[in-house]
Amino acid sequence: MTATMGDPAAGAGPVEPWDGERGPAQKPEEPSLSAGEWLGRNLFSSPVNSLLTVVFSLLVLLAVRGLLNFTFSEERTWRAVKTNMRFLFTHAYPQDQYARIWVCVGAIAVLSGLSVGLLARAGRGISMKKLSMNLMATGGVIALGIVLREPSAIVDDEGVALHRDASAAGGDSFVGWLDANAFAVLVVLVLANVALAVWFHLQGTYLRGGPEPRTAHGALVLVSVGVLIVQQYATGEVVRESFADAMSDRAWWWLAAALLAGAGAALWLGLGDARRRNTFVPAMYVFFVGAGVMVLSAWVYPWGHYGFLEGEFINEPGRTVAMTTKLPWTVMLVLLVATFELGRVLRAAGAGPKLRVPLNLLWVLTPFVLYWAVLRDPDLDWDHVLSTDLPMAVFFAAFGGLVVWFLAHPRIGEAGRVIAVVLVAVAALNWVAAYFGWYPMLQKARISFLLLAVVALLAHNFAGDRAQRMKLVAVWVATMAVFHWLVTLVNSPSTVDTPTDALIGGFGITLIVAVFTLLLAFPMGVLLALARTSKLPIFRVLSTAYIEVFRGVPLITVLFFFTLIFNLFLPDNMTLVDIAGATIGFSLFSAAYLAENVRGGLQAVRRGQYEASDAVGFTTVQRTLFIVLPQALRVSIPPLVGQVIATFKETSLLAIVGIFDFLRIADKVISAQSEFLGVKREGLLFVSFIYWIFAYNMSKHSQRLEKRLGVGER
Amino acid sequence: MSVSDATTALTEELAARDDMIVCEGVNKWFGDFQALDGITAVIKEREVVVVLGPSGSGKSTWIRCINRLEAHQEGRIVIDGVELTNDLRNIEKIRSEVGMVFQQFNLFPHLTVLDNIMLAPIWVRKKPKGEAEELARSLLERVGIPEQAEKYPGQLSGGQQQRVAIARALAMEPRIMLFDEPTSALDPEMIKEVLDVMKELATSGMTMMVVTHEMGFAREVADRVIFMEDGQIVETGTPEHFFTNPQEERTKLFLSQIL
Repeated sequence: MTATMGDPAAGAGPVEPWDGERGPAQKPEEPSLSAGEWLGRNLFSSPVNSLLTVVFSLLVLLAVRGLLNFTFSEERTWRAVKTNMRFLFTHAYPQDQYARIWVCVGAIAVLSGLSVGLLARAGRGISMKKLSMNLMATGGVIALGIVLREPSAIVDDEGVALHRDASAAGGDSFVGWLDANAFAVLVVLVLANVALAVWFHLQGTYLRGGPEPRTAHGALVLVSVGVLIVQQYATGEVVRESFADAMSDRAWWWLAAALLAGAGAALWLGLGDARRRNTFVPAMYVFFVGAGVMVLSAWVYPWGHYGFLEGEFINEPGRTVAMTTKLPWTVMLVLLVATFELGRVLRAAGAGPKLRVPLNLLWVLTPFVLYWAVLRDPDLDWDHVLSTDLPMAVFFAAFGGLVVWFLAHPRIGEAGRVIAVVLVAVAALNWVAAYFGWYPMLQKARISFLLLAVVALLAHNFAGDRAQRMKLVAVWVATMAVFHWLVTLVNSPSTVDTPTDALIGGFGITLIVAVFTLLLAFPMGVLLALARTSKLPIFRVLSTAYIEVFRGVPLITVLFFFTLIFNLFLPDNMTLVDIAGATIGFSLFSAAYLAENVRGGLQAVRRGQYEASDAVGFTTVQRTLFIVLPQALRVSIPPLVGQVIATFKETSLLAIVGIFDFLRIADKVISAQSEFLGVKREGLLFVSFIYWIFAYNMSKHSQRLEKRLGVGER
Repeated sequence: MSVSDATTALTEELAARDDMIVCEGVNKWFGDFQALDGITAVIKEREVVVVLGPSGSGKSTWIRCINRLEAHQEGRIVIDGVELTNDLRNIEKIRSEVGMVFQQFNLFPHLTVLDNIMLAPIWVRKKPKGEAEELARSLLERVGIPEQAEKYPGQLSGGQQQRVAIARALAMEPRIMLFDEPTSALDPEMIKEVLDVMKELATSGMTMMVVTHEMGFAREVADRVIFMEDGQIVETGTPEHFFTNPQEERTKLFLSQIL
């Protein structure tokens, strides 16, 4: 370096040493493409691509038109869905206890807000450019939908659609002619596209990249859209409104489209190219604005008030939705925004890493507490609680805490192993005794003993200094407290009175079964995967057999077994309610698939990782927990999320085993109501839509998770 | 008195003194292929031994047998007075005494550099967290990259990764360090930074066994050079003797090919 500096003749001049702090030179920003250039490069880059663009645009437009006409047809009875909203989401959960449902939704809103605000490294959020393009695109799509949709039928005073006079439906008007020859016209348009493509190709314009071919093909798509729209005015036998009437009837939609597109355009024009690209807003704010508009509309827009209350149908169009709907949702949104902001404040204060574990634990605990303590509202027998439940919980917390404290001592040595083995023997004996009826013991005492034995066996892996041991004891005491509390709740009768066996139905039961299935199946799947890759043949064989059996049996068979047959195998005084049986069936089934996904991840962990863990002296348990599983699970995120989505959707099989889940209510309950006899399609479409929203969001979240954890990178 | 009895008596006598690694008639097969053939050697405390030899000669297999990443099938390996058998307790004890550095670094990619180093002291040595972090930071200082503590292994160069790997092994405060071709996966300009750390370690009095192709390092740092071929120890001697006046034909051939 000094040599260069001392010698100007070297020519290069003083060169800064490469110390790694300066970073590489800024990459020049690529200028944004104009819309025309973008279309040219992406959709009309060659004759074949242009042809594909035109043909597939037409197909998509046809499909969209069909779906829109189905959805908004005057033959649809959407009132059936609106009236049964409460049925669809909670079935027969009693009206007077409904506040419990909102407490549950509120708890989830609070946790979600905190988690997203506190933990999500949301990156930079959404850029203004993307936001403005999305707004404009949404506005454009709505506008296109408005014009594509067929005009409404003209109805008489009784609401029956008027039919066209057969003679008047002549082929002399342009619309009539187009209707008669619609297919031929579209074929001609496509052929014209081919001809255009060939013509420009022969001219060599495609290769030179001139604008003519794009313009021609773009015009062709527009003409085709026009054909699709105009044809609507002649379709069918029903007399329809005029174009002007149809457009003005959709004034609210036009307003929405104009507002969205206008906001997008204002953003686009108001900011320069550089600012558009470099200004970011948190994605949650965009969501809040959207949700805020929806909630606000519930207060001002006459969505109508429909319902089904104590056998009476409520049918009040022209007013806003019921107070019992709009008020709770407003509160939920406020809760979400408030906790999100709170989370951000806490994160800015540096509390993120500290709160991460408690928050995740809270998420795991929430389903249990919400279901058994909030939704079920157990009626505690306080005499029994004070005489039996509480003393037992205290005993196990204290006794187990002592054992853990003792066994987690770094120098415990052989004595620890002896104690652990004795505890395992006692735990095993308790179960044998239960089988032969030697001595009575509450089931939860047996389970607590078993838990304690497992913890005792594992304790030496987590041994450490005083602080570490205190932590272990605290974890044990907390586990016992929660476990005994929950068992007490489960054993108490519910005060919520429902007509069916299940506490709740509809989407509620769908969510509950899905969540509990995953909570059960996930640990099982991981254990099965570890067993299948274990060195011990007994684990390997058992786990392989389990997985292959459950993967070889149809899910519906498993569900039938656990809801219909399994009870026959249980002792006389035990029965399994359908929901529990179905959840167990789902869990056992999903666990087999999850295990295979995790096994894939385990195989992706390199041999060197095992060797390095062994070389620093980790035990097998430590190696698995700290080194192997974190890497394996990270690799298997995409298939795991796929499995989660599949499980969520498979809960619709509950309908077949006779549980009033989301699908069954849409399929069987609504169509049996006197007002809506035989009305099924609307409910099914609505159910699909809700399923899709949830599944799509899970999939999106998994993509973010992958990016955050750097799957595919080292 | 047979010959094997005599060697047993000899090695036991030596073991009473400052022997760290004692190998005695170690045989190992991979299937039908004999990877180690009667390896007998003693490495003393504070000694730096470099193992040389053509590839496939069993150097790596031998060093991996010493902390039981591979199991030997015949013979005895005694580390600091503890014999390596199938007894898990002995293996755990020996592994916590013996640090190992791999050719491919094998850092834990999902943990920061600091966590890579702290994890084993906390969970194996049962050190309090604060103490472990202090130790980890001082070790990073020692290998010359204190500023990389919060990064992930994937963000470091090969040379830096290998130095982290050395720090990770040292964090267990081992009495012996094994190096299995620590510089073979590195770009030439990064080899020196790793060798410098190893030299410093050798001067500090660590017992080291190094499998390497770095002749300069062997000549400069080693107390003793062991030359292996076909799973056997062919020749042993001081670097001076080994590089200037080798006795065996095969050693001479090897040296003529690489020098």
